[in-house]
Amino acid sequence: MTYSKLRALGLALLGAGAVQPLFAHHSFALFDHQNRVTVSGTVVKFEWTNPHVFIQLEVPDGSATKHYTVECASPNVLTRVGWKFSDIKQGDKVSLLINPLRNGQPGGMLETATLANGRQLSDGNPPQGVFPRS
Amino acid sequence: MNFQSVGRHFGILLVASVLVLAAARADDAPKMLATSAAPANFTGDWQRYPRIGRGPPADPATLPPPDGKMMLKAKYRGPYEAKRAKERESDAKGEPIAAAGVDCLPYGMPEMMSAIYPLEILQTPGQVTIVAEAFSQVRRIFIGKPQPKIDEVPPGYYGHSVAHWDGTTLVVDTVGVKESVLGHSEMPHSDQMRITERLRLVTPDILHDQITVTDPVTLEQPWTFSFAYKRMPDYEMLEYVCENNHEYTDDQGVTHLRLQDNK
Repeated sequence: MTYSKLRALGLALLGAGAVQPLFAHHSFALFDHQNRVTVSGTVVKFEWTNPHVFIQLEVPDGSATKHYTVECASPNVLTRVGWKFSDIKQGDKVSLLINPLRNGQPGGMLETATLANGRQLSDGNPPQGVFPRS
Repeated sequence: MNFQSVGRHFGILLVASVLVLAAARADDAPKMLATSAAPANFTGDWQRYPRIGRGPPADPATLPPPDGKMMLKAKYRGPYEAKRAKERESDAKGEPIAAAGVDCLPYGMPEMMSAIYPLEILQTPGQVTIVAEAFSQVRRIFIGKPQPKIDEVPPGYYGHSVAHWDGTTLVVDTVGVKESVLGHSEMPHSDQMRITERLRLVTPDILHDQITVTDPVTLEQPWTFSFAYKRMPDYEMLEYVCENNHEYTDDQGVTHLRLQDNK
């Protein structure tokens, strides 16, 4: 079963009320969980805050740059899956696998961050896309 | 070292030891009272259990019984179902309707006990304090205190909770939850809602909270459901201050993400 199908199954289970998301503080329907895109660029701000961590990213776009706002889980969830507040800093080059905003604006929800040294940080999702978000 | 010197040093050591022991006993006294006087001790950090999709499957013997069905009175059932249908429709469009969490408001009772993040339970003489990491929610349960009449309790997010022991089960009675605080599964409730919880250790590391909600205004019959938790032996609770909310609600009640440009 593909990843997107597993995600769809998770969403279907949620819709049926069979299981409930344990970690969501609100609906994540703003984001397109059926699609993933990778955005690479330079971090202009790393916001280690509640209710969510945000990575503000400048992504090369032709001769200019495009600003992306990427929502992550909370510091609490990220701490529990091994992140540190100092893992990402302003000026870092990172590559972010995201579920894009459904309204087409430059932003999304993080799935996995890849740092310049190749280290990968998950956003804390359960394996196999059991839930659409965490 | 002569005999007198040894004797003096021994004397000093003895006095010091007695003082240290006395100090230790004074420090330990509240803990000893809390653990020895109560039929069970829930002190510790706890996370929701089982965690679907994480770790090995749960032992069925440690799971609570299936939840009952929320039976709303007809006057409330129609609007409730319409609201839930609208939420599903809005989610499908990618325009989710805001929930309390979007505005950084705490869940309150009983949904706080759903423990989206860990709970810390602190048991002291006469009181059980439950701290939820999410939104830094705190509720205090007063053991052996009388419960005032519902209309004498000021409405709040967590209500007023009193408890007594039934064997090793702590039976908690809560009233005084604001009507604007939505219940489990967004159950609507009146100012007459009463929440009865039965907290008990199923194993030393698995805790159940069986929750029964009664509301003569909105419910046809009491509704019982359970949350189970697993002990987190080495966990240190984290702070949660909802300071940087990029999500906001428009005048239609729809959630959006505020895009921040730091250039």
